[in-house]
Amino acid sequence: MSSTKLLTLKTSDGEEFKLDEAVAVKSQAIKNMVEDDCVSNAIPLPNVDSKTMTKVIEYWKKHSEEGVSKDQLNDFDKGFLEVHHSVLYDLLLAANYLNDKELVDVICQEVADRIKGKTPEEIRKEFDIKNDFTPEEEEKIRQENAWAFD
Amino acid sequence: MLSSKTLIFKKQKRKTKNGKNKKSKKISVSTKQESVTKQYQIAQEEEQEEEDEGFSLKDSVQSENHGVQPLGNLYFNPSSHNSRNIGLGNLQTLTDELVLDILALLEGTNLGILSTVSKGFYIFCNHEPLWRNLVLENCKGGFFFKGSWKSTFVSANKPLFSVLSCGFKVRDFYSDYLFQSWLCANLEMKPEWLERDNIVRRKGISVDEFVLNFEEPNKPVLLEGCLENNWPALEKWNRDYLIEKCGDVKFSVGPVEMKLEDYFRYSDQVREERPLYLFDPKFAEKIPQLEKDYDIPMYFNEDLFSVLGNDRPDYRWIIIGPAGSGSSFHIDPNSTSAWNAVIKGSKKWVLFPPDVVPPGVHPSPDGAEVASPVSIIEWFMNFYNETKNWKKRPIECVCKVGEVIFVPNGWWHLVINLEDSIAITQNFVSRRNLLNVLEFLERPNACTLVSGTSDRVNLHDKFKNAIETYLPGTIDELTLKAEEKKAQQNKPSFWDTVTDSKAGAFKFSF
Repeated sequence: MSSTKLLTLKTSDGEEFKLDEAVAVKSQAIKNMVEDDCVSNAIPLPNVDSKTMTKVIEYWKKHSEEGVSKDQLNDFDKGFLEVHHSVLYDLLLAANYLNDKELVDVICQEVADRIKGKTPEEIRKEFDIKNDFTPEEEEKIRQENAWAFD
Repeated sequence: MLSSKTLIFKKQKRKTKNGKNKKSKKISVSTKQESVTKQYQIAQEEEQEEEDEGFSLKDSVQSENHGVQPLGNLYFNPSSHNSRNIGLGNLQTLTDELVLDILALLEGTNLGILSTVSKGFYIFCNHEPLWRNLVLENCKGGFFFKGSWKSTFVSANKPLFSVLSCGFKVRDFYSDYLFQSWLCANLEMKPEWLERDNIVRRKGISVDEFVLNFEEPNKPVLLEGCLENNWPALEKWNRDYLIEKCGDVKFSVGPVEMKLEDYFRYSDQVREERPLYLFDPKFAEKIPQLEKDYDIPMYFNEDLFSVLGNDRPDYRWIIIGPAGSGSSFHIDPNSTSAWNAVIKGSKKWVLFPPDVVPPGVHPSPDGAEVASPVSIIEWFMNFYNETKNWKKRPIECVCKVGEVIFVPNGWWHLVINLEDSIAITQNFVSRRNLLNVLEFLERPNACTLVSGTSDRVNLHDKFKNAIETYLPGTIDELTLKAEEKKAQQNKPSFWDTVTDSKAGAFKFSF
């Protein structure tokens, strides 16, 4: 298995991406296919569109680069994740589908960080959530969780 | 999506493990959804092939459900909106598992605040496994269980606040993952899962008979009546006695260590899919009296790892757990054989021979890992019926007080406690599996596969040398015998030796 072997990935909208095998195997799903020797043709990825795949590959490539320090990677990640929420969640779904635990963890942490420290109203604003409690219900739930607001 | 079969519930008249519930009424998960569920049930009953489809929920208090329904029910809801999606806002495109992965990164206060945001988040944030992880991280084994993991957490962290749940129920929340999780936590073993009992039983056989008929050919057997005379534990071991003898000593319970009293408080109250299980390999060292209360049955007296003295791998465990606790499919470590004796309660066993991988189980090619993603109860729900028509059926039994099961080396096995149970189990190497064990320990990845000892890499050499020292010539003798046998025949698989098997060409391989 030469390290310059190229794999072809085909996204849901028909676009093809050529990528070093050594980089592509960050996806456990692709790694399994390589090990099972079924990557001679393009690998179909019907659950990922080209826009998202581009972002994923950007992440993989940066995290495969040599001579990059941890701090530099952290900075890269921060910038990388500063995207519109729909892009972010598509990225998370793709990372999950491709089974790249590292990327899944990084995005989950980002979302968790967007929840921490906010009031309920701020959380609703952040994630565009409708408050579907009646005032009475909300009061009940608030009482039940009074300890969290202490 | 959950299959139609799992949407049907039948009411228990009485808790019964014998026979089928012929006259069963319907039960709904929450009263508000009753009419919807009922309509669907009637439609489904007509399609049912099997007579006794459905699940019995545990008699005693169930865990909180908050109104969660399986996704299939959404199609019978005239308004067809899912408060899950409304409540998650932008996050609704994520899978339930991903949402829970995100919530798993939050502190308790974050979860508490988040649960007031919307009905959808209220349900997600009350997912008990999230709180269990928080409690175990924060309190380790020193937690005081208060009915639910969330209450336990709040009571430990904010003792001045009430932990009472307001019993809020959400309408129109559909999620397979959350529903299945709740279902498995509250399911009772179906009678038909307990019916098959095809293990060979023996009483009063000699050691030679045991070796010849079971140990040598590597077949399981259930031994009756061999604990009667020398197991004071059978009479003495009850809660009071154990708590008195063990006091404040802590025992291994999953990832933490707990006092017995604290563990019993938890196991009495808990309703969850994978209850914490007390499984301690140092119980005799911790409380010497416990060792005196039992005696190794005579069939298993040969214990070759004993030549290693204190360097030997873990070999004996006390096992305590509530109904529903147990071990999902695995093969015992180091290629050892095992015996398991029930002192209190009862256990359901399902065993597959070494060459038959159980359905739903995925060992890695080197056997280092076994992925069995489903819980024990989910295995019974989703995979057990597959085995009904197999020629290579599993060996099954219910092991009761005073009975001992012999688990031959290499056999897959799954165990579930049917009630509060206490048992002792030991793993051992005798001359019959000595060569197997040495071969196992010699494997290149032995340092990851070998378990129960801190000195994995050298175990093979140490063991071999110790055997040569204390039992010189044994290894050579056994090797010679094995070579002779091999020359005579190809070793038959278990099913080839069972006379009524017409196994044919049915084979599993990796």
